[in-house]
Amino acid sequence: MVLLAIAIFIIGPLLVGLSMGLDRRITARLQNRRGPPLLQPFYDIAKLFSKRPLVLGDLQGMFAVFCLAFQAAAFGLFALGGDLVVAFFISSMGAVFLVLGAYSTPSPYSHLGANRELLALLAYEPVLFLVIIAVGVNGSFLAGEVSRDLLGRIPLALLALVPVLVILLEKSPYDIPAAHQELATGPYVEYSGPYLAVLELGRWYQLAFVYGIATLFVWGDSAITDVAFKLILPFALLFAAIVIDNITARLTRRRMVSFMLTAGVGLIAVNLVVSYLTGVI
Amino acid sequence: MGLLDRIGVRSPWILHFDTGSCNGCDLEVWALLTPRYDVERFGGVNRANPKQADILLITGPVTKKCEDRLRNLYEQVPEPKLVMACGNCASTGAPFHNCYNVCQGVDKVIPVDVYVPGCAARPEALIDGLIKALSMWEEKARAAREVKG
Repeated sequence: MVLLAIAIFIIGPLLVGLSMGLDRRITARLQNRRGPPLLQPFYDIAKLFSKRPLVLGDLQGMFAVFCLAFQAAAFGLFALGGDLVVAFFISSMGAVFLVLGAYSTPSPYSHLGANRELLALLAYEPVLFLVIIAVGVNGSFLAGEVSRDLLGRIPLALLALVPVLVILLEKSPYDIPAAHQELATGPYVEYSGPYLAVLELGRWYQLAFVYGIATLFVWGDSAITDVAFKLILPFALLFAAIVIDNITARLTRRRMVSFMLTAGVGLIAVNLVVSYLTGVI
Repeated sequence: MGLLDRIGVRSPWILHFDTGSCNGCDLEVWALLTPRYDVERFGGVNRANPKQADILLITGPVTKKCEDRLRNLYEQVPEPKLVMACGNCASTGAPFHNCYNVCQGVDKVIPVDVYVPGCAARPEALIDGLIKALSMWEEKARAAREVKG
């Protein structure tokens, strides 16, 4: 059991890295380009680790390391079959360390990015939290003991994960914090070399956690179909996010928050109310 | 570290800076990112951020006003780094020879690794220059570590 957890802990972020490469490749194909090799995100990380470290003060580097540590801890707890709510709060703390790191430098771009990252947190965290609540009330909050019929019981919660992923993957219409065209990657702008790589790894762990929640919705009868379903679903969600990215333009940050707090929260609320009225929960 | 350097070649993040070019070479540099030339095949992306850049694509004859800015940008790029002078102006200052307001070439201000001639430099030539510059990456990385040690 522990060995399985360790395997998930290591393979999870590697699969996320691979999905990032696939993402860049599919995006390139959608734009009629050839695109980078599939392993490009790993090349980028390796290159960043070989660059000379450069930080603006001790705090900046420390916050980056904390960001990775907390995101890894959250995913580790998930892999061990631990409490989803606790894992969610640890993961949120990691996201807050990214914001603190951005605030610890005197750059206005970094500060603007940090402000927007906070808004993004305000937009996606309530929805993600409600997804976890919905999972919990339908069985157990422990990742290892959740109900096997989540897709039948709370299908709208899975749908609500799509806009959450759009924000986390920094894709249009909600690529508000990074905003490549105007903020030059926002909260990441003052990071470089190994510290940028550490933050990127933190992001992989965060995404692995969110994809991990999505995998709780599908179960196969045998081990092989189980693993296959659990692999296919995150890639389907990623593909949905890529298509949304390529057919929309960026909306304002106000629209992001209001959409997530009405439509996102609303979807899960409707699902839970219907479940309650029909006596499922 | 040797392995990291060998992989690093596959991920050249680009910073493009216009030091007073007529925009001819700038358009050709931007063409590298379009579907026709797609420099992302080699892992190259435009980061528009000196702190995250590996290779500087400099266009223009470097006006006196731009001199300090160019030096500033170069110093913000962490080692190892590569510099490419794109076009005749950036290589030698060509049409602005002996002009009072330009430095006449990027190499008068910062060290240059690869010169790509042309007015404007063709995107194919720029890709050639990029690959040529990347062939020096491992050597640069080793040198950077020795200086540090």
